[in-house]
Amino acid sequence: MAWSPDILVYPFLFIAIYFESFLLVTFLSKPAREQRKRTASSDTPKVAIIVPCWNETTTIASTVKSLLALDYPTDKLSIVLVNDGSTDDTPQAMAFFADNPQITIIHKENGGKHTALNAGIAASPDAELIGCLDADSFVESDALREIVTCFAKPEVMAATASMSVHKPKTLMQRMQYAEYVFGIALRHILSSINGLYVTPGPFSLYRASIFKELGNFKKAYQTEDMEMALRTQRAGYVIENALRARVYTKAPATLSKLLAQRTRWSSGFLRNMLYDYRGLIINPHHGVLGMFILPLALSSIGGSIIIFLVSVVLLGQRVFDGILVISGVPISYAFTSHQLSWFYFPANSMVFLGAILMITTISFMFVGKRLSRTPGILVPNVIVYVLLYGYTAPLWLMRSVADVARGTHRAWRY
Amino acid sequence: MSIFVRNALIALGITILVMGTVAYAVHYTNQQRLSEISRMQTQLSTDTLSLETQFALLENAPCEDISDGTSFSQELSNLGDRLSFTEGRLGSDDPQVLELKKEYALLEIRDYLLMQKLSTTCHITPVVTLYFYSNAGDCTACNRAGYALSYLRQTYPRLRVYSFDYNLSLGALKTLIQVEKVKPQLPAFVIQGKRYYGFTSLDNLKKDFPKSLFATSTATSTVSKKK
Repeated sequence: MAWSPDILVYPFLFIAIYFESFLLVTFLSKPAREQRKRTASSDTPKVAIIVPCWNETTTIASTVKSLLALDYPTDKLSIVLVNDGSTDDTPQAMAFFADNPQITIIHKENGGKHTALNAGIAASPDAELIGCLDADSFVESDALREIVTCFAKPEVMAATASMSVHKPKTLMQRMQYAEYVFGIALRHILSSINGLYVTPGPFSLYRASIFKELGNFKKAYQTEDMEMALRTQRAGYVIENALRARVYTKAPATLSKLLAQRTRWSSGFLRNMLYDYRGLIINPHHGVLGMFILPLALSSIGGSIIIFLVSVVLLGQRVFDGILVISGVPISYAFTSHQLSWFYFPANSMVFLGAILMITTISFMFVGKRLSRTPGILVPNVIVYVLLYGYTAPLWLMRSVADVARGTHRAWRY
Repeated sequence: MSIFVRNALIALGITILVMGTVAYAVHYTNQQRLSEISRMQTQLSTDTLSLETQFALLENAPCEDISDGTSFSQELSNLGDRLSFTEGRLGSDDPQVLELKKEYALLEIRDYLLMQKLSTTCHITPVVTLYFYSNAGDCTACNRAGYALSYLRQTYPRLRVYSFDYNLSLGALKTLIQVEKVKPQLPAFVIQGKRYYGFTSLDNLKKDFPKSLFATSTATSTVSKKK
């Protein structure tokens, strides 16, 4: 048979099926099962939650209120609001909480998120655990107790929560809702084998001693949360996940905003991997992360781009050929010329493998939502995800690869 | 063995199993398609033989008892569509596809000959078109020509189209090409005994057909597909 570009897709489909099979087996393995059985802690170590803010007038109040509503002794929980040189009314919004003894407010020159976090760390000398919460996110009342449980073992230096999109409205937010609940399952499974390489801004906690041992947050190509997680892993520590510690975040509402956010994430990942943490990749000393997760994460970027480009080429070819063939013949004939019969079902390997991948991914979404008890309706959002994700994700991946190749550094918000 | 290594090996086993199952399912579906085509061809072969026998038996007054074969032509066309679809999936060099194409071409030639006899004896006046195409990449207009012909055949039931792969290695087809004096300039059409080469548009193709075809036929909306 003649060469066709779809041959390029099969190696990546194999890798994707392998990865999802691995997730399934690991989900059923003992460490993940035991994680699911874990109940919220009655221990109450001293915790400081840092909220870095830059122009967050509209969201900061609900973020702080959700922290104040946490089911945790007030004398053990402090909240540090760091105004990173906001140019809007964020200082006034913060001032509303100035009288609360649990809250410390810091105003500083704009220096980037990592500097705001470091200012918060410096202001929390007594804390045993230090958490971060982005100012566009808010937590469930039991989230802190759930996440504190992760620190029972001394080798655990960080823990992540189960993030989801709060009340998605636009198509982009709906797509992200489905993506985030898949992420909940993914994070739960990978954490059971210490395979996490990001401690996201929305409610990750760190043992305070890690900052003394490994240093504070760095700019790290605007992905300070990823860099800190990679540094923690490189030092041989463990990053845990609290499945039922729910945190809700405000997701980008439009494609352009989403592209901006994801380009930052993906290019940050690539730069961290290629420049600063190359030594982790295919390094048996870093176990599952080095030998499996990071190589797969890197190959998935190439795979997504190749699959996208091949589908665009094939689709373009078909549309072009189709238009050429039917030109001149009444258009109505095109709609009567296909028989409804099993015979014409396009049963090729790519269709079958794609369907298997999609079904597995959707199953993990349901699992993630159910196990974390994340609120919201999944089905319509899954439909949006199925229709849009395959055509949007490659856009930011291609842009990230191009940025890294050309050495382009974009601003945080643009 | 660590949990990671164990899980990685189990996952590899599952992946190989999934890939193998998918490969088998695709192969099985293609085999089912080929069986379906073979079954249809056997049925049509029997029908052709029956029609020929019927014709021989009623030699003196055959016309009252033999239909004009419109439904038969439709079946033949459906079979062609399926064969064309299967060829697209398995490739034009697949041995089973080639074998079925040869059988199909033979079936078409037999029906063509029978139709010639019927039209002479029974004064049936179908508009017969022989269409020669190529899948060897040397005929850029063949897909368009095939689609336009399918449209005409569906719209004007009096039109009988017999499609042949010019490069098919089949003695009977070579003879037909020789008898009809069709040159290797594809796509080629033999319409009511006259030869035409090339395809530009449906309107131009229509000019090669007798006007009576468009004047007396009733448009239909039967389904079809390009060959």
